[in-house]
Amino acid sequence: MSNDRGKIKRHGLSVILTHWLVALSTFVLIFSGFGQMPLYGRYMVDRIPGLFWASDFSVTLLIHYWAAAVLMGAVAFHLVFHIIRRDFDILPRRGDLRESGRIILATFGFGEEPENDKYLAEQRLAYVFIAFSLLLVIVTGVLKVLKNLPSINYSEGFALWITLLHNIGTFLVIIGIVAHLGAFVFKANWPLLPGIFTGSIDREYAKERHGIWYRRICGGKEP
Amino acid sequence: MSDFSRREFLKRSVASGVAGGLVLAGMNRRAEASAAADVGTVIDLTLCDGCVSLPLPACVSACRDKNKPRFPEPIENIGNYWPQKKKEDWSKKRDLTDRLTPYNWTFVQKVQVEHGGRDHTLYLQRRCMHCDNPPCADLCPFSVLHKMPEGPVLIDHDLCFGGAKCRTVCPWGIPARQAGVGLYLKIVPTFAGGGVMYKCDLCYDRVKAGKIPACVEACPRNAISFGKKEEMRSRAHERAKEIGGYLYGENENGGTSTFYVSPVPFEKIHAALLKQKANQAKPGLPGFPGTPVGVENMTESANGIAWTMAIAPVAGIAAAVGAAYKTMKGGGGDVE
Repeated sequence: MSNDRGKIKRHGLSVILTHWLVALSTFVLIFSGFGQMPLYGRYMVDRIPGLFWASDFSVTLLIHYWAAAVLMGAVAFHLVFHIIRRDFDILPRRGDLRESGRIILATFGFGEEPENDKYLAEQRLAYVFIAFSLLLVIVTGVLKVLKNLPSINYSEGFALWITLLHNIGTFLVIIGIVAHLGAFVFKANWPLLPGIFTGSIDREYAKERHGIWYRRICGGKEP
Repeated sequence: MSDFSRREFLKRSVASGVAGGLVLAGMNRRAEASAAADVGTVIDLTLCDGCVSLPLPACVSACRDKNKPRFPEPIENIGNYWPQKKKEDWSKKRDLTDRLTPYNWTFVQKVQVEHGGRDHTLYLQRRCMHCDNPPCADLCPFSVLHKMPEGPVLIDHDLCFGGAKCRTVCPWGIPARQAGVGLYLKIVPTFAGGGVMYKCDLCYDRVKAGKIPACVEACPRNAISFGKKEEMRSRAHERAKEIGGYLYGENENGGTSTFYVSPVPFEKIHAALLKQKANQAKPGLPGFPGTPVGVENMTESANGIAWTMAIAPVAGIAAAVGAAYKTMKGGGGDVE
């Protein structure tokens, strides 16, 4: 539960590893995915030292496939691990939209922030947005991989739609990442940052901002 | 966690396995089986004489006449492909017939090759090969190219953005780009897109109507045969055997619908074409394909790992079951 008196454990090693595998593979997928459009040659990205391969579709396609495998592995791990453990803290709850509004207003000094569980209401909503976007990209991506096999040929309309949805999903993922990182513009969220690197956050911060979670894991007692 | 039993663990594992399987949902979806490339052509180089007595080979004239209504009409002031200081505009060179352009979807190459102690003058009608698994269609970032069930590969000119990736991934660099036309003009023309790609569609409208392609019909020496693909393949093999010649297009790029038959090895033809290209005023210009023998399909290496990728989610699920069991049994799993 805690690793020293001033800290409290927020994430286990599995969560930290999964988060970073998803993050890393997603960044590689975005870069290699944009490489699938003829952009890097035109915008001379391939002239940046070390990136000569960026405009070579055969290279970026292979990178895209390997990164997709890592992402699928990490997502499958994440889903199964948390379902078995019944860790559903990050799933949205009734009233999360309104509560998010209150949190955002409180960030700007209007009203008081509600007491939070392990995750803020806005974090739970952001999770669903990113999860949906990633699943959309994964499912359409798998269909696109199948399409490239010599034995499979989709109808014209189906191919067009899955590609469009794959591209839309990519932009949704990017929006999700920007919003996720954008949350750390606000100082109030900074104490959460060490959690995803070391697994622990400041005990006083947890007690103050994540009171519901703090009381639950401490069994209502001060540890 | 103390009341957590093996039975409960197994129950949850099965439930989560089902959910985890959703990640692979796409794998279960049955794709429409690849339509057998139904039609094909044989181009017999022993018969083609390049219509030397005519101002233009008959196949080229017929193609131009037939497709003229679909040739691009670009805007007046076409912008460069920023930040590059160039654009691809063939609209002032509509009369070019010695290469593939947006206004010339087929042309005839003349090569002189020595083989078996003899000098051969050969004429090759060139156009899209209509591949079995076309990388242009597979890898188009917007899926606007499509392999039709009848075999021809088509470009949707209304949706094409003109990035020209299809040309890059085509071993023959067939599709030709015209700037200043198409969808990109309505989005952010300065920063993305480059026009529309054009190429032979094997006269798809005629094929659908039960007719033969215009170039086939126009050939005065019956050097181009058109019919069911497997019949064309057999015919090409027979003809190659008859003349002790060579076949091109059967295995290249993973297989195509176009079979060239030649009395000369295609390696020699390729070398001669490369030499010609190198001697052109602008050797870098697209639209003058070679005949690389045994050229690989660009999707081959990626396709080679496609099924290996399926292992990743399975490994993820197995690791998750192990990790969940460990954290829950160990009693240290309150926080994960």
